[in-house]
Amino acid sequence: MRAGRARSVRILSGIVAAGLLAAACGGGKSGSSGNNVSAQQALIIARSMDINSLDPQRAYCDTCQIYLTAVYETLLGLDPKDNKTLVPRLATKWSSNSAQTEFTFTLNPKAKFADGKPVTSADVKFSWERLKGLAGSASYLASGIASIATPDARTVVATMTQPNSAFLAQVNASYMGVVEQSVAEAKGATTAAATDKAEKWFLANSAGSGPFTLASYKSGQEVRLKRNAAYWGTKAAFPEVVMKQTADAVTQRQQLEQGAVDIAMQLSTDVAKNMNAKNVTVRKVPSFNYVYLALSPGVKGGEALTPDVRKAIRLALDYKGLLDVTVGGAGRSQPSPIPNGFLGTDGLAPPARDVAQAKRLLAQAGVTKLSLSATYPTLNVYGVDFSTAMQKVQTDLKAVGIELKLNPVEISVWASKIGTDGIPVTALYFAPDHTDPSQYVQYFGLMPGSQWQTWTKAPARPQENQLLNQAFAAKSVNERGALYKQLAQAMMDDGVIIPLVNPDLYLAARSDIKGMHYSACCNLDLSQLSRG
Amino acid sequence: MTATVDSTVLTPSVVNVESRSEQGSRSRRARLPAYIGLVIVVGWTVVAATVPLWSPNDPLAPVGARLLEPSRAHLLGTDALGRDVFTRVLWGTRTSLPVAFVVIVASVALGSLVGAAAGFFGGWVDAVLMRVVDITMAFPPILLAMAITASLGPGIRNALIGMVLVWWPIYARLLAAQVQSVRRRDHVESAVAIGASRWLVLRRYVLPLSYTPVLVNATMDFGQVVLLTASLSFIGLGARPPSPEWGAMITEGATNFYNWWIAAGPGVAILSVVLGFNFLGDALRDRLDVRD
Repeated sequence: MRAGRARSVRILSGIVAAGLLAAACGGGKSGSSGNNVSAQQALIIARSMDINSLDPQRAYCDTCQIYLTAVYETLLGLDPKDNKTLVPRLATKWSSNSAQTEFTFTLNPKAKFADGKPVTSADVKFSWERLKGLAGSASYLASGIASIATPDARTVVATMTQPNSAFLAQVNASYMGVVEQSVAEAKGATTAAATDKAEKWFLANSAGSGPFTLASYKSGQEVRLKRNAAYWGTKAAFPEVVMKQTADAVTQRQQLEQGAVDIAMQLSTDVAKNMNAKNVTVRKVPSFNYVYLALSPGVKGGEALTPDVRKAIRLALDYKGLLDVTVGGAGRSQPSPIPNGFLGTDGLAPPARDVAQAKRLLAQAGVTKLSLSATYPTLNVYGVDFSTAMQKVQTDLKAVGIELKLNPVEISVWASKIGTDGIPVTALYFAPDHTDPSQYVQYFGLMPGSQWQTWTKAPARPQENQLLNQAFAAKSVNERGALYKQLAQAMMDDGVIIPLVNPDLYLAARSDIKGMHYSACCNLDLSQLSRG
Repeated sequence: MTATVDSTVLTPSVVNVESRSEQGSRSRRARLPAYIGLVIVVGWTVVAATVPLWSPNDPLAPVGARLLEPSRAHLLGTDALGRDVFTRVLWGTRTSLPVAFVVIVASVALGSLVGAAAGFFGGWVDAVLMRVVDITMAFPPILLAMAITASLGPGIRNALIGMVLVWWPIYARLLAAQVQSVRRRDHVESAVAIGASRWLVLRRYVLPLSYTPVLVNATMDFGQVVLLTASLSFIGLGARPPSPEWGAMITEGATNFYNWWIAAGPGVAILSVVLGFNFLGDALRDRLDVRD
């Protein structure tokens, strides 16, 4: 009898659970329709957000590029038609001396911040000096600035420590946006990391001149922007833009199909495939983004990663297989840390697998049995699932006798580990900050103090620094191209950064969304978007 | 004169008189879930023990194109790396079942030790130990297991430690209550009265009469531990890639959501193991539980 009652209770519980599930599904639907209503006014973007800060001089992430471009204007913009040509933004005119050491910008007199105050040369000076002084990840963009003169309120003269032919491209990076000095300083902003206290304020407020202002930010949930009603240029079409945290590509696709969001731009090939929902447009475009393997010979556990072993690892990888496994073939293999299409990459031999040569190199290095540990973030970026990619790497390395133990960790754990002990083998991703190849040399090259020279603790190669300086000083594009090609080859020979896959980007949006372009500097320019 | 028969008098005796074959049939029906459970559990155990001898493919190596639909060549299709999902499901038993076994055995051992001490000695020993149990049980098991595993670092060994630390209080509380009830029985008090040592009394007269609920619970919990192991792996705290662990495989299935077969195989495997052990535990309870 008791058992019978227990069974009845179980059945009843099952019915209740099923009812709750149905209610939950129903709730989801009504939630979607609620979103549909708001979508008539607002643009909703589903994104897996990697925001580290909303402080314009501290932020450094893919989502930050979108945010900063929308809220903080740069002096120069990038023509969305070719992703190459610089166009006026805050500056109407710009020029440089023949030595590429002095750059002069004339600000648009109409340019004003969201509170109505004009954008002045003093604001530019403060912003760039703050970017340099805070020494964050994007500070390298301003590190070559020796001084900034402001002869009048509309003229900015930036003097470099040495010739820098990449400076105009760097100015176009979203991290070089201009913040309103008086507002920022009132909230504790300074140009020195030790005294600056404004980061918290920037999480809830903004002080830019862009077509949008920050309405609110809920960490791990959403970034809400509202149209800058006082914008001095062509006003944005959307009164509100919401970037909604949507971790995985599957959910992004489902929300887009249901009409709960307007844009999803992190779909993988497998998820984007066979997407034939009504009123949704999917476009596949080449990108400069890539996922790479990093080998750190100078850290604990990486001692065996000698130049020969690193070269053997490079030869052991099945690049075509990696492309197939990670993005279903929708992308390209990339030989050097400078992506295909950037200056200096023409004619570089594509990476190819050579197991026999890899084995020979390992034997030559006296390596008979090698076991390495790979700690990498559990990410799915640009449609590449890191776990899948690393399992493929593991299989490829096994073929040459290298055992790779995989240790996926949360990105925060990864960040803490890479910055302290270092990680012998890892994987990460990179999207360009601007259109000049120098950024890759500065970030991935083994120049003393570069990001990856620091992380890998590999012996510094000052000759890369010399080559970069020559490229900065080069008078012609051809000369610069030749020097960057040498640098690309040098970084390939370093063997600490091995690009795995350069995936295509899927731009998926409701069919009525217009103006969606992939930007090489800024990811997605929200001001270009409209509905209709 | 017509003889009348009072049906109200006759009916009960008619109902009670059930044929032997009907009784047998009812008994067989009642035992059916137990048999199903037994077959499932024994089946998976045999698979776990012998799969290296007859495995259709290498669970870690690609055997064909990626994301192939189920076919004769690949009964459950292939995953994103071109590995045979069916083979990986079979090999998954070699992680899930041993882990669950170790967790249950270790939890029963630890829980029994604490529960027996608390129940038998009573007083402050009971108060202290049961408060520890209360504190541990105040947290939802999955959350506590996650917290412990995350603090120790991801990996199946640490997940195992986390699960043991979450699971032992269940047995401690159960055994403490049983021991408390048994130790007041006459035969135990008689043993104490004639001078038997505490250890002897506990071992010979108390524990044998207290263990049934623990055994039943442990059997039913086996499936739950398999589920918890899979849950920890699903959120990245358990098995490391490329281990063919069921929870980790379901995560891969979630990434490849539109290729249903990747998650379906391990999902059904987990379902069957949980059901199997539940059926078995139910049957064991019906047969052994003193309350029934």
